[in-house]
Amino acid sequence: MIGIVIEALIKSALIAFVLLTAFAYLTFAERKIAALMQVRKGPNRVGPWGLLQPAADGIKLIFKEEVMPAGADKVLFFLAPILTMIPAIVIVAVIPLGPDVELFGRTIRLGITDLNVGLLYILAIASVAVYGIVLAGWSSANKYALLGGLRASAQMISYEIALGLSIIGPIMLAGTLSLQGIVQAQQSSTWYVLWQPLGAMIFLIAGLAELNRAPFDMPEAEQELTAGYFTEYSGMKFSLFFMGEYIKMVAVSAIATTLFFGGYLGPFVDKLPWLGILYFAIKTVGFLFLMIWIRLTLPRLRYDQLMAFGWKVLLPLALFNVVITAVVIVFVG
Amino acid sequence: MAHEWIFIGIILLFGTIFAAVPLVVNTIVAPKKPNVLKNETYECGMETVGDTWIQFKVQYYIFSLVFVIFDVEIVFLFPWAVAYKQLPFFAVVEGVIFIVILAGGLLYAWRKGALDWV
Amino acid sequence: MSDKDSLDNMPVNEVASDSLVARFDGEVRSDTREGYEGYIVDANMLPEVASVLRDDLGYDYLSSVTGVDYIDDNHIEVVYHADQTTGGKGINLKVQLDRENPIVPTLVPIYPGADFQEREVFDMYGVKFDGHPNLRRILMWDGFHGYPLRKDWKEAYYEEDIKPFDSRWPGGGVKRSEADNPYGKNVNYPPGFDINNWTPETDDSLYESLEKTNSNGKSLHTDSIVVNIGPQHPSTHGVFRMVVALDGETITDLQPVMGYLHRNHEKIGERNTFLQNMPYTDRLDYLCSMSNNLGYALAVEQLMGADVPERAQYIRVLMAELTRISNHMWAIGFLLNDLGAFQTPALYAIRARELILDVFEATAGSRMMCNYMRFGGLARDFPDTLRGEDTVKFITDLVDNTLPKAIDELDHFLTANEIVRSRCIGVGVLPPDKAIAYSTGGPLLRASGVSYDLRTADPYSIYDRFDFNICTRSNGDVYDRYLVRVDEMRESTRICQQVMRDIPAEGEIFSGKPQYSVKVPAGESYGRVENPKGELGYYVVSTGKANPYRYHVRAPSFVNLTVLGELCKGHKVADAVVILGSIDIVLGEVDR
Repeated sequence: MIGIVIEALIKSALIAFVLLTAFAYLTFAERKIAALMQVRKGPNRVGPWGLLQPAADGIKLIFKEEVMPAGADKVLFFLAPILTMIPAIVIVAVIPLGPDVELFGRTIRLGITDLNVGLLYILAIASVAVYGIVLAGWSSANKYALLGGLRASAQMISYEIALGLSIIGPIMLAGTLSLQGIVQAQQSSTWYVLWQPLGAMIFLIAGLAELNRAPFDMPEAEQELTAGYFTEYSGMKFSLFFMGEYIKMVAVSAIATTLFFGGYLGPFVDKLPWLGILYFAIKTVGFLFLMIWIRLTLPRLRYDQLMAFGWKVLLPLALFNVVITAVVIVFVG
Repeated sequence: MAHEWIFIGIILLFGTIFAAVPLVVNTIVAPKKPNVLKNETYECGMETVGDTWIQFKVQYYIFSLVFVIFDVEIVFLFPWAVAYKQLPFFAVVEGVIFIVILAGGLLYAWRKGALDWV
Repeated sequence: MSDKDSLDNMPVNEVASDSLVARFDGEVRSDTREGYEGYIVDANMLPEVASVLRDDLGYDYLSSVTGVDYIDDNHIEVVYHADQTTGGKGINLKVQLDRENPIVPTLVPIYPGADFQEREVFDMYGVKFDGHPNLRRILMWDGFHGYPLRKDWKEAYYEEDIKPFDSRWPGGGVKRSEADNPYGKNVNYPPGFDINNWTPETDDSLYESLEKTNSNGKSLHTDSIVVNIGPQHPSTHGVFRMVVALDGETITDLQPVMGYLHRNHEKIGERNTFLQNMPYTDRLDYLCSMSNNLGYALAVEQLMGADVPERAQYIRVLMAELTRISNHMWAIGFLLNDLGAFQTPALYAIRARELILDVFEATAGSRMMCNYMRFGGLARDFPDTLRGEDTVKFITDLVDNTLPKAIDELDHFLTANEIVRSRCIGVGVLPPDKAIAYSTGGPLLRASGVSYDLRTADPYSIYDRFDFNICTRSNGDVYDRYLVRVDEMRESTRICQQVMRDIPAEGEIFSGKPQYSVKVPAGESYGRVENPKGELGYYVVSTGKANPYRYHVRAPSFVNLTVLGELCKGHKVADAVVILGSIDIVLGEVDR
């Protein structure tokens, strides 16, 4: 029992640390990639090639004064960023980063843990994430924030349905809700993206919408709502929202990798289990790059168009995908 | 099985710490110089007019109602999907019928205009 | 109008004059003052004259409304400039009013485009437009005391009527009047005003004037919400403010509020000498300083009767057209930003613009504030080399290859983009009749299918020598405005190519001898150019002295905003931003 707790502590600390570093360098990577795609130089002053930029940003933010609007609901205003941040970290707990390894005479899972209801856990945590945003929008007592919060909640619940339906395909193929199980099932067949191209696409689109990333970044649509639900936030509270959003990006990329792209699978993983982490990281980074690329390329949809797309295109397609999967499994086996 | 939830509990703890610590540090090290103008609600430099916490458009609540219906029904699909390969053929047909009913519900909401944002 | 043959042979103006003077005998008379033209109309007859002008004579486009304070004759003149969208010279009407109590019937019911301009005249001269639907101050704040463009109004820290001020003249020693003006002196407050107990005025009347839809009986109760978009907002293109009443996310009413950047450009212009005004015009639409210069130069040259040498004419056209390309690049790039693109299209669009600015910098000495044109020519000729290349070769290569490629690139990546299309098509539709009635100009007007462009309608400079098309589209939505801009850039490169082909290799660029203070005969003139954003007009009145007696700018951005509220109603908030972006305003010009 003690051993388990120690293992859990070490792994949690490691994962949280990795996530924070990933967040810091994801923001840096986004700015750098944006610069390269826009014929600019990007951050290049702090440290070699600007590599210390995230540290400088973090230090600046932590010394920033917090401004809380007089009309705000103080308690909720304080709680909202925390409520956004926690699910972002907790959601990665069930993602397997590699096969089991032997270490110090114990069998250790690469990844925090593996739940037999892993996917349900992910959906549940993802639903919790919306609270932080809605509360932020509402508690600020700011009209832009209110509109941003309302948009965010409506958008997230709308795309959650398509998201939920799109992962039914892998579940049917693997016959389990455990993510480790789904990865192993892909070892015996092949990456599920080949069986579930439509499902994978719906997952990615709905995932982008869940993340409020471009072209679905309506809740924080700068052009009309200045900064949406976090308009009134400054300093560390603001950066918690930012952190939450970017860590969720990592999480969605990781989940997409696990469900549709074979997770940690790759050549020689069965002999060298630690390689799994590398494969997993490469695939995840690929998705992160895709998200950044999309943001730099596309303009934004209008809000009613976004809702219409979610309900009238994505949801019927996802339902269709479930039916097709069911039929194909019955006839092909 | 239970020990897996210990892991979840501990990462939840870490998540909370990682979210709360920066806020606490921030409150200690950051300057605090509030004044009336600084604490005003931001509305592009103008004083805000009217109440912000208003009775918003009812359409918004309709979305959440539709969502609740669909979300619950999708949860019903999960056990069916997990056990799909062990199910007899009749259960498969049942599942498909269930999805068709779902689609019918969607069509109804669509026709009623519940899916139009205003 | 019985004798058809003689009508056809007569210039348009004389037809108008004959029938106007004949029809309103005694109430309309020709303006016979030296150097003036047009007609003086009795104030109470103005609406009828305007209806005849619009309906029977075809002057369907009210270009400009402004005022002049003739303090010595003790009257204020309101000057109207009207045009035919089919082309030809414009006509001007004047109404002379008593300075003490100037009242004139409004023209808003006949020309809705007069709305903001009449408000401006009210704001600046105190002329009351009887029947105007919303006669409030527009550039100054509501509680402002006095009418700043009246000749007897003195600003804070007033020194002298006209420049150059003695205190700042070489040899006179520099004396800053700010130094000997203690706080409060020469500052006019309204009666009963106490600075210490003053609270900023609220916009209650403005907020109440908005149309809201509260609980429409049938459905559940919904509150309407009033939101200020601007002045400190990322996508209002400057300190511009839209007060929006929302029902959910749908706009039920929108009122533009401006004047945050108001510096009384026209009063400054009346203090300056004629030539001193040239760099000030750069600051109007600061993206198009070259064509601003051109408009002002034309207005003053009309008064002076100055000739412009051949080579200078070609360079003027080249600069004006390069300005058009650079402005449209900017407009398209930032329209995409308004659509939510993350800067990428904007940065690629303005990359090509940088090369144009290089040309400006090499010839005029400044990238944006060019101050390049002079009355009778230009400040200087092309330099020999530009970026290490022969200047002519550089410009030829720019207009032959680089710019067309950049335009094609924008066209290729943006025009067919699914999101751009779904966001732009059918948004902010402006039908042609409304576009004319609201006096809109530039791409906004032409996207509605009205083929009105001063370059062909009333050709100035040497535009009649070039072969180019006026680009129009028929739907009048945001997408068509975007397409018109793309097309216009292509036509502009064609004009530039022809300029580079035909320009005389050698020659004068300035007629007469350069001087600081030009001799401008008494009279009035209305010089105008087709600026990238629409018709830019300068109404200049000279009394033969070194300074203009009246210097008015008919700013296209300002007039185009008249229709904004109309365009936005019924659309979503996000669309308001896009519609504003498609109108393409620059606040330096809106607020002046």
